[in-house]
Amino acid sequence: MASLSTSSLSFKAPSLPTRISQVLRKPLSFQSISFGRFQSSKKLRLQISCAAKPETVQKVSDIVREQLALSADTALTAESKFSALGADSLDTVEIVMALEEKFNISVEEADAQNISTIQEAADLIEDLVQKTPAA
Amino acid sequence: MRTSVMSQMQRSFSIDLPSLIPLQLPSRRETHLWYILPDEVKSTSLLKRYSQFLSPIEKDRVDQMRGDELKKNALLARTLVRTTIARYQTNKAVDPGSLMFKKNMYGKPEVDWQNCKNYNVQPLHFNISHTDSLIACGVTVHAPVGIDVEDKERKIKHDVLAFAKRFYTTDEVNFLATILDPEAQRKEFIKLWTLKEAYVKALGKGFSAAPFNTFTIQSKPGTEGGYSLCKTSEVTANPLEKTEECNGRWKFDLLELAGSHYAAVCTEDDQADEGAPMRVIVRKTIPFVEDQLISERIFL
Repeated sequence: MASLSTSSLSFKAPSLPTRISQVLRKPLSFQSISFGRFQSSKKLRLQISCAAKPETVQKVSDIVREQLALSADTALTAESKFSALGADSLDTVEIVMALEEKFNISVEEADAQNISTIQEAADLIEDLVQKTPAA
Repeated sequence: MRTSVMSQMQRSFSIDLPSLIPLQLPSRRETHLWYILPDEVKSTSLLKRYSQFLSPIEKDRVDQMRGDELKKNALLARTLVRTTIARYQTNKAVDPGSLMFKKNMYGKPEVDWQNCKNYNVQPLHFNISHTDSLIACGVTVHAPVGIDVEDKERKIKHDVLAFAKRFYTTDEVNFLATILDPEAQRKEFIKLWTLKEAYVKALGKGFSAAPFNTFTIQSKPGTEGGYSLCKTSEVTANPLEKTEECNGRWKFDLLELAGSHYAAVCTEDDQADEGAPMRVIVRKTIPFVEDQLISERIFL
């Protein structure tokens, strides 16, 4: 099951990268903006921290490609949206499970359902990997 | 009953579409379930005509889909929603392209009646779902509706029980564990998935409002395709003492479409008419071309 409407069922935070690039140009006001007006949300924290390493993005792409049975000539980038690739909610959950196994992390259901691009998945993974004590 | 209208139009190059055949709104205890089989819509001129109904945002989304088949299905999904809702305006012909949509505060799409030109406000609810090979739209009045469809043959890449343990409730895992044949178990897993999705979509508050492991859906003994919902809540620190709250407020029907898909329908029952049955009327359609009544089912 997938549809234009269900893929946008989760409420999306406003586009953050634009705001961050504006903030970075004014280093003095950065602190007050990030802890003042904005809600401290997991998603915000992910966007402020460095974007995921290219290797992570590649590993996520491989898992997505396999789960969605994409042909070799479907180019995947960090910006690729799961819904645009034909993923429905069951696919998204399977992708998350595969990522959990690959990276030895545990993703909360709310986070799992809100991942919509390869970049978001990679960012979430690196955030969780950082938190997991070294095995 | 088959109504075939202007099918010879498909042969001409630039087609002029006939008017949409109007529909009576569902009654209070009824869900109308409409579906399209994309494989049955082959005419490129018809598809081009459909695309003229889409808003600029919808056209962008269709263009973003990777691959012709995904683009076509995205187009058909929007066409199904727009033409179906337009047909329920019985006292005049309206342009499906002039419908406006908005999202509720959780992101669930609804009709934006304030901004629709020439449309009468209707207490109409809709929800859509699609797979690669089937697109469905459910319509109700007065009560929200959630629809989910899945290909019966859909393969799960993970171990079904591991998947269920991760996302479903203990009762549901126990139920699946009693099914020894892997194929039968996979099918029951898929049915449960569609039912749970349909509930979350009917609720319309996003997935975090009703995580899958907070409610159990089980079949109602003595019914075919009847299911009930029980909420699990932990009121004590002891995880073994969970209270289950089962109420009849949410009604479910699980049916098969086109021999290939499971479809779950979930609506809220205001219980104004205690115990009165609910109905699902299933129709297959190709917008502007034909409707086919598939079945009328009663569920309790």
